[in-house]
Amino acid sequence: MNIINLAHGAYLMMGAYLSYVLFTSLHVDPFLSVPIAFAVMFGFGFLVQKYVINFVVRAPMLTTFLLTFGLSLLLVNIALVIFHGDSKAVAPAYTGSHFDLGPVTIGWTKFWTLLVALAVTGVVQLWLSRSRTGRAIRATALDIGAAQLSGVRVANIYAIVYGLGAGLAGAAGVLVGLNQGLNPSMGDPYIIDAFVVCVLGGLGSVQGALVGGLVFGIVEALGSQFIGSGLQDAVALGVFLIVLIVRPTGIMGRALV
Amino acid sequence: MKAARAGGITGSPRAALAIAALLVVALGVPLLHNGYYENLVRGILMFSAMSLGWNLLGGYAGYVSFGNVVYFGIGAYVSAYLANHGWANVWVDVPAGMIVAALFAILLGLPILRLEGHYFGIATLGIALAVQELIANTDALGNGSGLTVTQAAWFSQYYYAMWAVCAYAFGLTWLVATSKFGYALVAIRENEDAAAVLGIDVTRAKIAAWALCATMAAGAGGVFAFSNGFIDPPTAFGLEDNVFPIVMALLGGVGTVAGPVVGALILTAINETLWSHFPQIHTLFFGVVIVLVVLFLPRGLLFLAGVKGGWRGFVRGLSAYRV
Repeated sequence: MNIINLAHGAYLMMGAYLSYVLFTSLHVDPFLSVPIAFAVMFGFGFLVQKYVINFVVRAPMLTTFLLTFGLSLLLVNIALVIFHGDSKAVAPAYTGSHFDLGPVTIGWTKFWTLLVALAVTGVVQLWLSRSRTGRAIRATALDIGAAQLSGVRVANIYAIVYGLGAGLAGAAGVLVGLNQGLNPSMGDPYIIDAFVVCVLGGLGSVQGALVGGLVFGIVEALGSQFIGSGLQDAVALGVFLIVLIVRPTGIMGRALV
Repeated sequence: MKAARAGGITGSPRAALAIAALLVVALGVPLLHNGYYENLVRGILMFSAMSLGWNLLGGYAGYVSFGNVVYFGIGAYVSAYLANHGWANVWVDVPAGMIVAALFAILLGLPILRLEGHYFGIATLGIALAVQELIANTDALGNGSGLTVTQAAWFSQYYYAMWAVCAYAFGLTWLVATSKFGYALVAIRENEDAAAVLGIDVTRAKIAAWALCATMAAGAGGVFAFSNGFIDPPTAFGLEDNVFPIVMALLGGVGTVAGPVVGALILTAINETLWSHFPQIHTLFFGVVIVLVVLFLPRGLLFLAGVKGGWRGFVRGLSAYRV
């Protein structure tokens, strides 16, 4: 939808802290928090887009970029005031339990994290391609004016898409929080990673995001194995630049859209 | 774009003249013998130079870079490296860093400036991150632990060096804005294909603008390495140094000569006040400031002067980008 959302990492962080609060005060299992975090962050993102970002949606890309950067600063620092900077952990009883698959040891949390992430991706893809709202979203992405003329409530569509993005970030935050410590700036590394993944796969494509995520993860892992872990980001970004120059629409991207 | 008014594409020639006068006055700051003011104004000059650099490509040519800090870092590291190898002279090292940065920009510009919009922006951000990581893994550049730069006894020379960098950036931007080259950049911003059809060598103009913008950021970074006395990858490639110049240009007025300097002045003043009164949450306030600026001044302060219809016109203008 042509919005570079730099607050994405902040939404991820919010999802993680939500599951932390639910877990420590109400003993809610983190995997149960995934849908809760999705719902809460969807609502939050919906409101942010509807009452803040929608005012500048037609402005040059730079405007939304800076707006979401400001939002991100704001949210991260509010979290810093509330939760302080020290690292927190969400550790249910099954943390650390694992199973063996031949010579490979796999932690259960990591395994379920992968399954949940894949399931969520599948649902989003189905929804975008099959549902009426999904069609309206794709129409708005193609041409705001034409979508509006066809009766699409563009302002609401923007809010839904942004809410969806925030909700997914929140859900991802719960999963990230299960596998590593929580701190207010935990989402920052994911902003650039998420963007690189999307561009690798092709912007505006769910399958592309999945392929891009796989490629990015493999390149990063191989890079840290063979070139040195200090340079894993540089290697991944190098591959990203090469893909960008050779195939600017991404691996799965179409020529248009 | 209402660029065809008197004064060409400077935005506002009167504002540019006022800034030029301010710059001349700023030459006298070290005579106050007040370290605080000298540091403060040096910071404003530094951000002005970086913001002017970003503005040349992002404002005039419409190529929004999110990784200009890479040139700041290159300038800083060239200075620090030379200073540690027997060339501890700010007036030699900084121009050297500017040349290195310009060469880097030309090499990089060939593939990168073919990209547009989001792709260009993220590619520049990626380059900044990659170069930062490369430097953090280079032994000769102190790896992750950084380089110390021995400072000269006469500290104010760094102030004058930063002033010179800022004056260079400002003068060059003004020169570009009143030249055919400036109009070529604006033509690229408005419609690149049309610009090419009109006979503008689009690639060459973009690369030239990028190389010039690289020298401005590298100059600021080079002097910063001396005045700070120490650099490591996070200080030389800091997120703030990357984003502040963009916010400043936006606040003052993108694609104007005076805008970036006006933005740097105001934003540094706000930041300084917040920092001294609310050290704990000044970043939080800064987030609020950015959000407010984007929502209420999406085209910068300098455009306020051109708003017709007074207060009502201003309010009407707010919903220009709404859906």
